[in-house]
Amino acid sequence: MNDPRAWPGSVRVFADYDRDFRLDADVVVVGSGPCGAVAAYELAAAGKSVVLCEEGPPFTPADYEIDGALSMSRTMREGGLRFTSGTVLPTMQAIALGGGSLVNSAMCNRTPDFRFQEWAEEAELSRTSRAELEPHYDAIAEFLGIAATPDEVQGRRNLLFRDGCKALGYSAESCPRNVVGCRGSGECFTGCRPRAKQSMDISYVPAAIRLGAQVLTSVRVERILASGRRATGVEGRVAAPFTGAPGPSFRVDAKAVVLAAGVVATPLLLQRSGDLANASGQVGEHLQFHPGTSVLGVFPDPVEPVFGATQGYQSLHFLREGFKLETLWAPPGVLAVRMPGLGHPLKQALLDMRFASVFDGIVSCRRSEGRVRERGRSLHPAMRWTFHPDDAAVLGRAIWHMAEIFFAAGARKILPGVAGVPDELHSLAEAEVLRTRRLRPSDIVVASTHVFGTTRMHGDARRGVVDEDLKAHDMDNLYVVDTGVFPRSPAVNPMFTGMALARRSALALAGRV
Amino acid sequence: MLVGIALAVWALVRLALGYPRRDPALRQLSARDQAFVRAAADAVFPPGGALAISGAEAGTLAHVDRYVASLSPRSRVLIRLLFFLLEHATLFFPAPGWDGFRRFTSLTPAQRAAVLEGWGRSPLAVRRTVFQSLRAVLTMAYFANPTVLRAMGLAPLAIESPVVDADLLYPPIGQPRSAVRATPADRERCVPRTPLDPHGPLDPAYREPA
Ligand SMILES: Cc1cc2nc3c(=O)[nH]c(=O)nc-3n(C[C@H](O)[C@H](O)[C@H](O)COP(=O)(O)OP(=O)(O)OC[C@H]3O[C@@H](n4cnc5c(N)ncnc54)[C@H](O)[C@@H]3O)c2cc1C
Ligand code: SF4
Repeated sequence: MNDPRAWPGSVRVFADYDRDFRLDADVVVVGSGPCGAVAAYELAAAGKSVVLCEEGPPFTPADYEIDGALSMSRTMREGGLRFTSGTVLPTMQAIALGGGSLVNSAMCNRTPDFRFQEWAEEAELSRTSRAELEPHYDAIAEFLGIAATPDEVQGRRNLLFRDGCKALGYSAESCPRNVVGCRGSGECFTGCRPRAKQSMDISYVPAAIRLGAQVLTSVRVERILASGRRATGVEGRVAAPFTGAPGPSFRVDAKAVVLAAGVVATPLLLQRSGDLANASGQVGEHLQFHPGTSVLGVFPDPVEPVFGATQGYQSLHFLREGFKLETLWAPPGVLAVRMPGLGHPLKQALLDMRFASVFDGIVSCRRSEGRVRERGRSLHPAMRWTFHPDDAAVLGRAIWHMAEIFFAAGARKILPGVAGVPDELHSLAEAEVLRTRRLRPSDIVVASTHVFGTTRMHGDARRGVVDEDLKAHDMDNLYVVDTGVFPRSPAVNPMFTGMALARRSALALAGRV
Repeated sequence: MLVGIALAVWALVRLALGYPRRDPALRQLSARDQAFVRAAADAVFPPGGALAISGAEAGTLAHVDRYVASLSPRSRVLIRLLFFLLEHATLFFPAPGWDGFRRFTSLTPAQRAAVLEGWGRSPLAVRRTVFQSLRAVLTMAYFANPTVLRAMGLAPLAIESPVVDADLLYPPIGQPRSAVRATPADRERCVPRTPLDPHGPLDPAYREPA
């Protein structure tokens, strides 16, 4: 068992598909992101035969591009250029074995109890609380080695956040992450070259293969097969890496179907499979994000931001006020996109980046919503979303607090990136404008990588798509386990809660097939 | 009739004529796109100053072409529309001066900078978004140049990847599984796992040429 090539399961890659094929399984799982990978593993661990279908390819370090733009064009859907209409919100969804975990910052936060209580009230849930999910969080944490980011790999840019928070009396926590042996390269966004991040492709997916799961990469599921209230399998085509060019067709017949294609893709699959599981009319509705923005602070001495965990520190101090603050790093070319101006002043500002740290704030919106629909008959989404002025005002408060933390940590200037406010603010007094002005949605450049809501869990079958086991209300054996099931924002980064819910669901399903 | 013909001739001249020949080494961008990206890159990152290398010198054009080639057909069209829009939007948002209505690539460097500044500082959010989109494409391309990242002290560090179980399962993308070279013994190979030194050696692709 020491040699993965002798494991009972298998993985197929693009070069393996030379003809149409058909498979049988107890359960077919669509999507190998954090939620689908956990579900596939738990089902395999329960002795079920599992086929895991993933549209993206597996990435090895040889396939990583350190350059931000080229990396995005390979790992993200629509080359990283996906955005909503309504309010223009750039958003990224990965297409890779491991889904978002390949490119994300590995922050693993547990949703606070107060938010679970709100979910329970609003979505009429009776078994979805922090206490109910704690054993699932614990099991995943143990499996992935989730732990606080050690100080020796924080780097100065993360520690400055801690110091600023401390000086102001705000809480600051070293981020818990699914990382073992971080070297502080700050490259989580383009793939972890030190192989420290326990992304699904190197953790849960191999573990599922070890237990017998068959993993099909570079296959695009195009339809869920169903007969009455029963899903009978899935079918689709092989999809060439990066171009998506269709190849041979395939079909997997299964006793149960688990959808984990992500918040954007899962509703499209349901819509294009005869509007499956949609008696409630809620599939694709309630598209929600954590819109976020970053502020850059420049310090008197070099910060050497090239070293440090990508997102090493966070503050949960303001969760009840509706926002969360974090440190942030990304490929410099991606970060520089939010620098103001052009010409020689811009070039000078770029040279300041060595002296800089970047913080970001994300809002758990109360009133901003949208929807996702098929664009034509394709699997491409048409997403519409509107940033509500009340939520934008909350983001405005987050920006002000980031300014405060920067100056408390000794920054000599900040670049707030807010329209109508000077490009650079040199003191807390100058930054006061951020506190006194109510920012409008169009004043702030926002982006988001946290998405939820399009297949929401609800106790009332008329108002939601899945029940608390994440089984579709309208179907006997169709499950949706990605973060689309969140009825509302989880208040913190979504991955860990998505995985915990997926694990609970997979254990319930394992007892039924 | 005459007015119609005159308009057609004017449109032809404005839209299609007078661009330098297309660099055939670039796969995606037309002659017009290439001229626009070159001009815009130097407006955003002009030659000289603290970071001496200009947008054009940094190879921005080649990088943008490569980036556009890697996108889906729809994203490609969107990006090229963006270039087209800004090339001709001087009809509605002219550059300073009596000749400010000329297409972007025909303006002087100072006029081009003023035009882009106008988009970036516009009270209309949609104009600012257009500017940010263009600048995002150009900035990411500028930063792809190792000289730029080295000058900024932000070049990636050298990192050796250890071999993990997954490396025995997955070949490099596009290759058959027989292309997996790692063996179980490689997992024992000693690879540094200590925190990186920010002043340590750079990734080979970003090192100064000898
Ligand atoms: C840059 C970035 C940074 C982030 N940082 C964090 C963080 O630090 N902490 C955190 O909690 N969250 C973070 N997130 C968000 C987090 O990654 C997502 O919430 C998480 O990945 C969602 O998991 P999922 O399994 O629901 O879906 P996904 O990860 O999106 O996985 C869905 C998978 O399904 C596949 N798929 C889709 N359609 C099909 C189809 N038709 N056929 C076959 N396969 C299909 C996709 O290719 C994809 O691999 C980040 C996201 C990004 C993009
Ligand atoms: S900071 Fe670097 S070493 Fe640490 S997990 Fe992220 S990519 Fe890996």
